Amino acid sequence: MVTIANEIKVEVKERGQFRPLKLLKNRWFLYALSLAGFIYLWHWTAERRVFGGGLPLPWDVLVQLGKLTVDPLAGKNLFEHTWASTRRILIGFAIGSSIAVPLGLFMALNKYANAIVKPIFDLLKPMPPIAWISISILWFGIEETPKVFIIVIGTVVPCLLNAYNGVRLVEPQLYDVVKMLGGTRKDEIIQVCFPAAFPAIFAGLQISLSIAWTCVIAAELVAARSGLGFVTLQGMTLSRPAMTVAGMIAIAVAAWLTTLLVSGLERIVCPWKRGLENV
Amino acid sequence: MAKIVCDRVSKEFIQKGKIRVHVLEEISLEVKENEFLVILGPGQSGKSTLLRIIAGLETPTSGSVFIDGKPVDGPHPSRGLVFQSYMLFAWKTVMGNVEMGPKLRGLPKKERREIAQHYINLVGLKGFEKYYPHQLSGGMKQRVGIARAYANNPDIMLLDEPFGQLDAQTRYFMEKETVRIWEAEKRTVVFVTNNIDEAVYLADRIVTLKGKLPGRMGPTFVVDLPRPREHTDQAFLELRQEIIDSTELVL
Amino acid sequence: MPYEEVRVRVPIGLRILSVAALGAFLLGWELVVRLDVVPSTMLASPSQVMGLFAIKLTDPQPDGAVLHVHIWTSIQEAFTGYFLSLLVGIPLGLLMGWFVVAEGLFRPVFELIRPIPPIAWIPLTIFWFGIGLAGKVFIIWVAGLVPCVINSYVGVKMTNPTLIQMARTYGASDWQIFIKICVPSALPMVFGALQISLAYCWTNLVGAELLAADTGLGYLITMGRRLARPDLVILGMLMVGLTGAVIGVMIDYVERRLLAGIRR
Repeated sequence: MVTIANEIKVEVKERGQFRPLKLLKNRWFLYALSLAGFIYLWHWTAERRVFGGGLPLPWDVLVQLGKLTVDPLAGKNLFEHTWASTRRILIGFAIGSSIAVPLGLFMALNKYANAIVKPIFDLLKPMPPIAWISISILWFGIEETPKVFIIVIGTVVPCLLNAYNGVRLVEPQLYDVVKMLGGTRKDEIIQVCFPAAFPAIFAGLQISLSIAWTCVIAAELVAARSGLGFVTLQGMTLSRPAMTVAGMIAIAVAAWLTTLLVSGLERIVCPWKRGLENV
Repeated sequence: MAKIVCDRVSKEFIQKGKIRVHVLEEISLEVKENEFLVILGPGQSGKSTLLRIIAGLETPTSGSVFIDGKPVDGPHPSRGLVFQSYMLFAWKTVMGNVEMGPKLRGLPKKERREIAQHYINLVGLKGFEKYYPHQLSGGMKQRVGIARAYANNPDIMLLDEPFGQLDAQTRYFMEKETVRIWEAEKRTVVFVTNNIDEAVYLADRIVTLKGKLPGRMGPTFVVDLPRPREHTDQAFLELRQEIIDSTELVL
Repeated sequence: MPYEEVRVRVPIGLRILSVAALGAFLLGWELVVRLDVVPSTMLASPSQVMGLFAIKLTDPQPDGAVLHVHIWTSIQEAFTGYFLSLLVGIPLGLLMGWFVVAEGLFRPVFELIRPIPPIAWIPLTIFWFGIGLAGKVFIIWVAGLVPCVINSYVGVKMTNPTLIQMARTYGASDWQIFIKICVPSALPMVFGALQISLAYCWTNLVGAELLAADTGLGYLITMGRRLARPDLVILGMLMVGLTGAVIGVMIDYVERRLLAGIRR
């Protein structure tokens, strides 16, 4: 509990009467109900073959997930496929952000850099990274490089934009504070500009991460022999929808975990940030 | 020799790329050493701009400012500025904020911690060193701002409507605190406000500005009342009335 | 009048630098191909792409359709999915923001679906719908849904609590507060969703077409790769970017007209 001068917050918990009608409006109860209902609806739809066999039973998916962890598919089990996809993302993400963030910061601080880079960036910006898949396959073949390349392309745009805007949106009077305290221009940049831009940079990282997942899955759907996108594709090739859905669930979990990683990192680097309730 | 001399300072801005705005017109004033001067004026009369010119953050379009006889050449740690909207570094703790000045001047860690601690105690925030600005109330944030400006040991303290964003109670409290801190460690102070009560409570001398865009010099008032002052004192109220009568300031 | 208009000179030097940089980029690109630094099976020069653009306006070869047919197909698919996602996503998000029952029922499913990149649905939709319009529209719909729901939800959550309390003192019911206060107050965020959702829809459209289509800009790009025609690929990429940018500008214009009074 944070105490603020002249104000102290005291929390008092009151136990109201238990009313069955209240239960219906309780959030957690509804969540549980919703999940149960969803799974039941899924099962019912799959059983009735509403999609003509295209929707697997939930139980089948679970079985498939289990099988994939034990039986290798194209030489790798589930964890190895997950790692294949994640590894591509991490490499591409690292390369992309280490180019984009310093460049964005530099562009915001130096008007010549801005004049030179921005027009080219604006030209390339509206093209979705997925559109680069074909040309990168033409250039790099179908091994790891084109996939990592796409992720780099996808990462660069949001990271650069957010770093750039993060600096531009810094309150100008903060620089005045440093000037008054006797700081040089270098001090202004290191002591104010960078820390003030961190929250925006992290927001850019989060966006880049979800784009990176889209890119890697797309690249794997086009030409790959490993990875979670490959797993879902194999499900289609081998006419095993359970495998496809299993792959999708694995993707969801992996994407969620990487998001947590970046959030955790943000909490360490930016302990002062206090944003909107996590949506 | 006066500490601060403003000689016919005028300032124009070009806003939004096209519009020339005339903010100050021929302001001349002097501030003596360790005097508490209040600049009183309505909104948009250029008070903040005048303060920034004295600070060295802006240059006057015509006229000049001298400090200790030398012309002002840009910002310098010998002048401390307290901002209206706190301008604390959100990513640093209270201690981090206050020790920023000594840190920028290259003092070793132990020494600057001591200095910062001294001023944190002085403004009454002992115990809150590890708090982040977002955990503090408005009054506390402004105290950090004051401590931060003081920590550099400036000759001159410049305060730009520092209590404008606080509620009335906190404002009264902070006015008292300001006098206490100033009497504990005397400096030359230039304090900008639009509140007559505040001006009469704090000042040794009040310089009024009148008119909006541009602001011009109005009459000057000497406040001879002994400290601590009472808002309901007879002499206080008389002076207040005098100021109201002579300016366009409405309560 | 204390204001006086003044002409200020814009720094010409920077403008020239920008133009020069862009020119240098294009020139470098052109030369790299002309001088065979990069083989012409891998990269096409700007002049080749422009030439192809002119040709494709009338020539259906080598991919089976004239350029504007591809563009039109892509736009159709994108907008169908886009409008459907607005139709479903915005009311859903608004309701979820205010009614606990709505949030409780829909949120878990939403949070499950959300981390899955829309592209990952492609194999599944091929199971369900085959390689037709329906599958692509479904993917685009899923893609556009997420930002609509999130933005509408946040928009409602950010309603000024004082307004709600005021309405309650007048005896307004939950539903009335929702319609008359929460929804209008969430409009700026909802309009933000329009842009973001469109960007997501457009990106995922290209992805969907890359894999399973016979017309459309994504198909154009894939064809270019299969035929080892980098000029076709680059033309497709540029068209995707250009069309996306143009649509974005149009939406921005519409938004500005509709929201003329409300401060954003």
